[in-house]
Amino acid sequence: MKIAIEELAGCSGCTISLLDIHEELLNVLKDHEIVYSPVIMDVKEPPNDIDIAFVTGAVRNEENEKRLKEIRRKAKKVVALGTCACYGGISGLSMLSSNEEIFRCVYQGVETVKEGNLVPGKVPPFLYRAFAVGDLARVDYYITGCPPKEHYLNMILPLLLKGEKPGLPRKSVCAECDRVMGSVEGWKMKRRHEGTPDREHCLLGQGYLCLGSVTFGRCGATCPHNNIPCHGCNGPSLDILREPCRDIHNLIVRRIVDLTGLPAAQVEKEMFDIAHTLYTFTIGSLIMEDKETSKIRDLVKGGNI
Amino acid sequence: MKQMTISPVTRVEGHGEVRIDLNDRGEVERAHFSVVELRGFERFLVGAAVEEAPRITPRICGICPTSHHLAAAKALDQIFGAEPPEAGKKLRELMMLGQYIHSHALHFFMLAAPDYLLPGAGEGDRNVMGLAKGSMELVKKAIAVRKFGQRITEAVGGKPIHPATGVPGGVSHPIQESQRASLLQMAEGVLAAAIESWEIAHSLMDKIDPSVGLVNTAFMGMQKGGLFTFDGGQVQVCSPEGTTLGSFSGADYVSQMEEYTEDWSYLKFCRLKAGQPYRVGPLARLNIVNSMGTSEADKALAEYRKKYGRVVQTTLAYNIARYVEFLWACERAKELLQDSALTAQKTRTPVEGVVNRRGVGIIEAPRGTLIHDYTVNEAGIIERCNLIVATCQNNYAMDRSVEEVARRVIRDGKPIDGGVNLIESVIRAYDPCLSCATHMIKTENGRMASRPFIKICISGVR
Ligand code: SF4
Ligand code: SF4
Ligand code: SF4
Repeated sequence: MKIAIEELAGCSGCTISLLDIHEELLNVLKDHEIVYSPVIMDVKEPPNDIDIAFVTGAVRNEENEKRLKEIRRKAKKVVALGTCACYGGISGLSMLSSNEEIFRCVYQGVETVKEGNLVPGKVPPFLYRAFAVGDLARVDYYITGCPPKEHYLNMILPLLLKGEKPGLPRKSVCAECDRVMGSVEGWKMKRRHEGTPDREHCLLGQGYLCLGSVTFGRCGATCPHNNIPCHGCNGPSLDILREPCRDIHNLIVRRIVDLTGLPAAQVEKEMFDIAHTLYTFTIGSLIMEDKETSKIRDLVKGGNI
Repeated sequence: MKQMTISPVTRVEGHGEVRIDLNDRGEVERAHFSVVELRGFERFLVGAAVEEAPRITPRICGICPTSHHLAAAKALDQIFGAEPPEAGKKLRELMMLGQYIHSHALHFFMLAAPDYLLPGAGEGDRNVMGLAKGSMELVKKAIAVRKFGQRITEAVGGKPIHPATGVPGGVSHPIQESQRASLLQMAEGVLAAAIESWEIAHSLMDKIDPSVGLVNTAFMGMQKGGLFTFDGGQVQVCSPEGTTLGSFSGADYVSQMEEYTEDWSYLKFCRLKAGQPYRVGPLARLNIVNSMGTSEADKALAEYRKKYGRVVQTTLAYNIARYVEFLWACERAKELLQDSALTAQKTRTPVEGVVNRRGVGIIEAPRGTLIHDYTVNEAGIIERCNLIVATCQNNYAMDRSVEEVARRVIRDGKPIDGGVNLIESVIRAYDPCLSCATHMIKTENGRMASRPFIKICISGVR
């Protein structure tokens, strides 16, 4: 197969994750050929006969959109690779401010620039919002993860390149987590950096905002495993994706209510900075914003600043 | 007036382009390296709970995420007033070594080497896949060494890309004795391979033309007692001739440097307060330090200095300097993996509330000095944030290097054979990380708006 890897608004981490299958890459390249990938090779335009294109990054401006449309036209199959491509990812956070606020801050607001520093020329607008790849083009497969993990790519890449559909786990991070639920007496929301969590018990039960229950798995629950709460980098769980009335915010609140017996209103009050703690990776997704219970619309409109 | 554009610049991380203006005689009027992107992180981090910074900022760059992760964690140490315990410090160091090994190996073997090892190759073959056709052994070696770097990051950071374990006061989790043992075993083989391949880097010294992309700048880099280090030392600034101009740590950086903009690029530029341009990264660091502090790297450094002298301005020598650092990182990783303190259980000093309203984390990222500066309110919500990345600091030099090469490869309005790649290879030498410097914005037609250039007149250069 002829493979292309396109980069939109992202960090190149997803392209590196493809290299991170290490020597397996040599096996892949025995049967298949990479014909376009600006990070690793010099071909400047995608060729016309791409069999499978991995698109990484979100769509944030007209150039991203143009490239996406072009690669969709030229490729038989399009894979949205990584959480940015699937849900907008971190790039979506720029929707918390207007363009002007961003420029003013970056070019004139930080301490190392002089007052009245030049804001570069004519500033082209972002698209009116960030988009996930699937919001703007037909996508054949979604591979979530920021970035997707080696183990998981090793499982699916060979099959995908053979044109087969891999059967995959669809569980949440919690399903892959080895922690047990402890006592949740006197539950109080903690900040994610406070104290030292105990290694045996569920982090959410201990008061840390762990997003395992609302996050798609396939990472081996690596963060809870290393005593760090999950911050949702694989994107929303299947539950949320399937049900229009379920959203990251209302589902995590419900989960805490079930765990603690506290009234929902109190739990909601204890939430803090939901833009950066709950919607970090999904704020740029039209699908996530369109959910009737989504808080994204409020965040984008007012900013939570 | 005609304009020529090379877009996208390839085999670099992120999106950039070269724009060359030609006069009616087909000669280069001026050439610029434009990054048509803007990083909005400094803005959208405002309002964030500061403890999220080490989780969010790695996403600035998927090649050097650990640098951002740990620069942010170091700033948090100050904000929450906690010193990591010994194992926490050592694990952070190991994580950074993983970063250096992966990033430098990726750049040297997979991105830059094809320019020098496959000089006649065409556009489709001048890359790591082309390299594999001629020398599979070399590519296997490159894969193995980079894998070692990523395995370290995964073991300590939880994930090879976007590690997560750096927390205020240390690292969230210890590593197991078995992990240490298996990494140490890998380290032996990797170090042997790294020593063996010094020959390739060494041979580049004869292959590259030292005048290509030459600029004359001051330099900035960290050192500790004259030795190479990426953390915990003083950042030193030296003149183009190598005399020390100053040094700083922490929030003092603002007294040494400033950022400015040019109308034709969205990427900010840095200069010293006195106005001189400077460079950061491998070339700069080797100019700053007296020695590396490990035996093989010091041997390599001696050969490098025999060829280029004590203070090196040669832009393409970045590639060789990078290899010297790569050797050092492999040696240091092996040394550190033998340290039993690495597996101690206490990796973290617990913290509670905000102790200091400001924290500045400075680290030498593979590409150069990286500064994360956060100011928070009493609740630990970010009020101000300043991120200074290597690529902004090298922006001026990169831009001038590009013009220098453009002048030599454009004849009668057209690039000579291989000319376009020569321009790109000088950009590549800096190993720019354009995502680090950005978030992308382009004009409607995908090009920078055409405006009269503002000529930069900075003392010492041109
Ligand atoms: S999904 Fe994560 S790793 Fe991939 S491009 Fe986006 S930020 Fe980078
Ligand atoms: S909420 Fe977090 S800690 Fe608790 S079971 Fe789920 S993933 Fe594990
Ligand atoms: S545990 Fe959560 S934050 Fe960590 S890698 Fe998995 S999905 Fe991402």
